[in-house]
Amino acid sequence: MIEFKNVSKKYKNGTHALYDVNLQIHDGEFVYIIGPTGSGKSTLIKLLDGEEIPTGGNVIVNKTNVGKIRNSKVYLYRRKIGVVFQDYRLLPNKTVFENVAYALEVLDWPKDKIRRRTREVLRLVDLADKANSFPNELSGGQQQRAAIARAISKRPNILIADEPTGNLDPEMTNEIVDMLERINLEEKTTILVVTHNPIMVKEHPKRTITIEAGHITYDRQADNSKEIKVEEITGEIPVQEVKEAIKKDVS
Amino acid sequence: MFHRFFKHIKEGFVGIRRHFSMAISSASAVTVTLTLVGFFAVLMFNMAYMTSEVEKSISLVALIDYDCSSSEIKIIENNIAELDNVDTVEYRTKDEEFDFYNEMYPEMIEFSETYREDNPFHDTFMIYAKDGSKLSELKEKIASINGIDSVEDGGSNTYKFVNILHSVRFAGLILVSALVLLAIYLIYNTIKITIASRKDEIWIMRNVGAKNGYIRAPFLVEGIIIGIMGSIIPIGLIIWAYVYLFNLSNGNILGIINLYPSYPFLLYLSLGLVGIGIFVGFIGSYISVCKYLRLKR
Repeated sequence: MIEFKNVSKKYKNGTHALYDVNLQIHDGEFVYIIGPTGSGKSTLIKLLDGEEIPTGGNVIVNKTNVGKIRNSKVYLYRRKIGVVFQDYRLLPNKTVFENVAYALEVLDWPKDKIRRRTREVLRLVDLADKANSFPNELSGGQQQRAAIARAISKRPNILIADEPTGNLDPEMTNEIVDMLERINLEEKTTILVVTHNPIMVKEHPKRTITIEAGHITYDRQADNSKEIKVEEITGEIPVQEVKEAIKKDVS
Repeated sequence: MFHRFFKHIKEGFVGIRRHFSMAISSASAVTVTLTLVGFFAVLMFNMAYMTSEVEKSISLVALIDYDCSSSEIKIIENNIAELDNVDTVEYRTKDEEFDFYNEMYPEMIEFSETYREDNPFHDTFMIYAKDGSKLSELKEKIASINGIDSVEDGGSNTYKFVNILHSVRFAGLILVSALVLLAIYLIYNTIKITIASRKDEIWIMRNVGAKNGYIRAPFLVEGIIIGIMGSIIPIGLIIWAYVYLFNLSNGNILGIINLYPSYPFLLYLSLGLVGIGIFVGFIGSYISVCKYLRLKR
């Protein structure tokens, strides 16, 4: 389970990215995090990934307080988290197979296990026939699938996808979301997709958390059964009221 | 374990191959620096050699009071020998001193022999110090021993000469240290560029959960290889120049400076230069990669 408890983040340059954020995501959930540019989505991910430390509150992932992990031990935590970015970040001089296998080589997996797992994830993302292709021989969607394959190869508990369809057309976007849904189902991986693509959110409805100006303003369930308006951004933030409203709603 | 070790070495070489021109330019800069380090090291070691030779030859002459008995002289000798900085003590009778004087000034024999019966020389001790730079302290200590009339040395010029040699050695040491720092800086910059060009790879390694040590290793290997590459030409150049100079001068420059024999001096110097190459390569890349990794959590 992922929990943000009164999390705030203020950067050294004075930018206040998140204000008193409270959030719970259960194991195996598929969640969209949406919001305009500069709203704090990326900071939320960085806090979750352990790249940044909150200036207030706690980020707790499976009972581990992420901000309290020593720098020298963060790598162990990261082994349980997969991250995918908009720009794929595949190594151009390695084939798709090598790109995926590389992530496991780094973790010192035995060779035969690497081969087996790489084939398995490439099948899962429908890239088995492109295993020997280089990234520049693939379409954008295929490259993103290869990046997803690499991210899930180490069997992470959580997969974070930051704007995974930002560079893709609607057809490929659907392809990627289908893929993420499949991973969510088959690998039981908790999936967090950061996006500002409203079509994706509409066509593949999931729990959707809206962040605006560093505040979680909406938390809507997949079937629209519950939409919690968490905060009003204008004027004073009625923190206590909002907390009570959430409590009431949850109960 | 071994598998990972060889993997990092292989990746280090791959890194060099990938950024070959950068590695070569950095190795060239290290070559220039290590050549200077090597030449200064040759100079410093030979200065040290010369200084120790000079220091060894510096001695004190303690004149014994005329009225000391032979048992008292023995006690004084023991007292001197027990002092910290004393290497050897030689006793000379006043007759030996007289003969020594005649040997030094043969043209004066006729005149001096008239004084043999009434020999004006003292019985003496020739004292050789372990550390020539602390000769004046030793002189004071010996002079304060009962039964010693006075202590003579080679004069203030000897001290000045030894001090100059020490200063030159010290200046050389500072210069070599500065050059080593320069080489570290050059490698640091090369590795910084290598890191920038491989930031995607580093990103992947970090995100899949590689240890910092694992990320660091290929860069350290790369730095060490550049350091070793940079030490090859200086070693060759210095061996050639030293052997040439040694043969030309017969091991002695202007009859003043005695050169170390080529072997094993050049062997140790070469190993030292490779060691410095490895050291600067390791430190330069370590600082660079640690700085990069420290900026990220």
